[in-house]
Amino acid sequence: MNYVVPVLLIAVLVTGLFKRVNVYDGFVLGARKSFDLTLSVFPYLAAIFIMVNALHASGLDVYVTKLLSPPFRLLGVPEEVVQLVLLRPFSGSGSLAILTDVYKQYGTDSYVGRCASVIMGSSETVFYVASVYFSGTRVRKTGWAIPIALFCNLLGAVTACLLCRII
Amino acid sequence: MNIVWTVVTVAALAVLTVTAPQSMLTVCLDSCSQAVTTALGLMGIYCLWLGIFEVADRCKLVEGLSKCFKGLNKFLYGNVTAAAEQYISLNLASNLLGVGNAATPSAIAAIKETEHTETLSRSGAMLFVVNATSVQLIPTTVVGLRASMGSANPSDILLPNLVATLVTSVVGIALVFCAYGRAK
Repeated sequence: MNYVVPVLLIAVLVTGLFKRVNVYDGFVLGARKSFDLTLSVFPYLAAIFIMVNALHASGLDVYVTKLLSPPFRLLGVPEEVVQLVLLRPFSGSGSLAILTDVYKQYGTDSYVGRCASVIMGSSETVFYVASVYFSGTRVRKTGWAIPIALFCNLLGAVTACLLCRII
Repeated sequence: MNIVWTVVTVAALAVLTVTAPQSMLTVCLDSCSQAVTTALGLMGIYCLWLGIFEVADRCKLVEGLSKCFKGLNKFLYGNVTAAAEQYISLNLASNLLGVGNAATPSAIAAIKETEHTETLSRSGAMLFVVNATSVQLIPTTVVGLRASMGSANPSDILLPNLVATLVTSVVGIALVFCAYGRAK
């Protein structure tokens, strides 16, 4: 499995040689596009980081977690991972830090630890992805896209906690 | 996004100003610096993958990939331009291979092709949901972290993880069909 991506990468370059394509020029031209792409993504990153860090520093995230623990328990999601479920849509690095905390406190192989692992693996940083994806377009009204993705994150968390009980 | 961001940020900053006024500005400035470092890191990743994609495109490999996924793309996205279809295929291939970093630039390119108005189209919404719920064969980061923190069996979450991502993908795609109807 470790070989798939490296082999594909070399295969692309070798195909270029055989097809007499100017591989060097192609790579440079493609790589140049990364500059504009980063420029359009950057301000959205700043906005998202301000929101997430302010939320964390103010302690509001802990308060909201406490408030929402009971309804999550009804869905079968243990209290210990609620903060992970709530922060996940906003921040990848933030949720990774929470996952590490859960491992430290409850152990990687405990029920809570396994739940947290699957929640992390089966969910996505919805707001972060949305701001990055739509950064280069005029799109301002995203309609159903974000609600559907958020619902799927929640469904993933509930499914994860259920599956970790059986498997 | 406008409302969510403004309400949450204002609430958090207001609480912070009351509880720890001296740290409020630091938090904001640190966040912006964090955005700079993250953006530079992303630029490196985009640089590699966009370079490789361009070579693959010149070799007509992307065209071939796009032909492989033709049926699936037609079903999910309907009629989109040939360029959009190629980016979508690259995006799907990256997701299936677990190279999330390569999935981002191709998704952005595809969305630039499909979106021309202020309202997100059905194909844009579908692409977003497919990426947000993408099926993951191996959650590399999580398995790696588990191994480094002394798990007896770091990969015993693979099966539940695969099932959970399958469930979210299927439900997510079905919900797009419910909200926007069939692809035209």
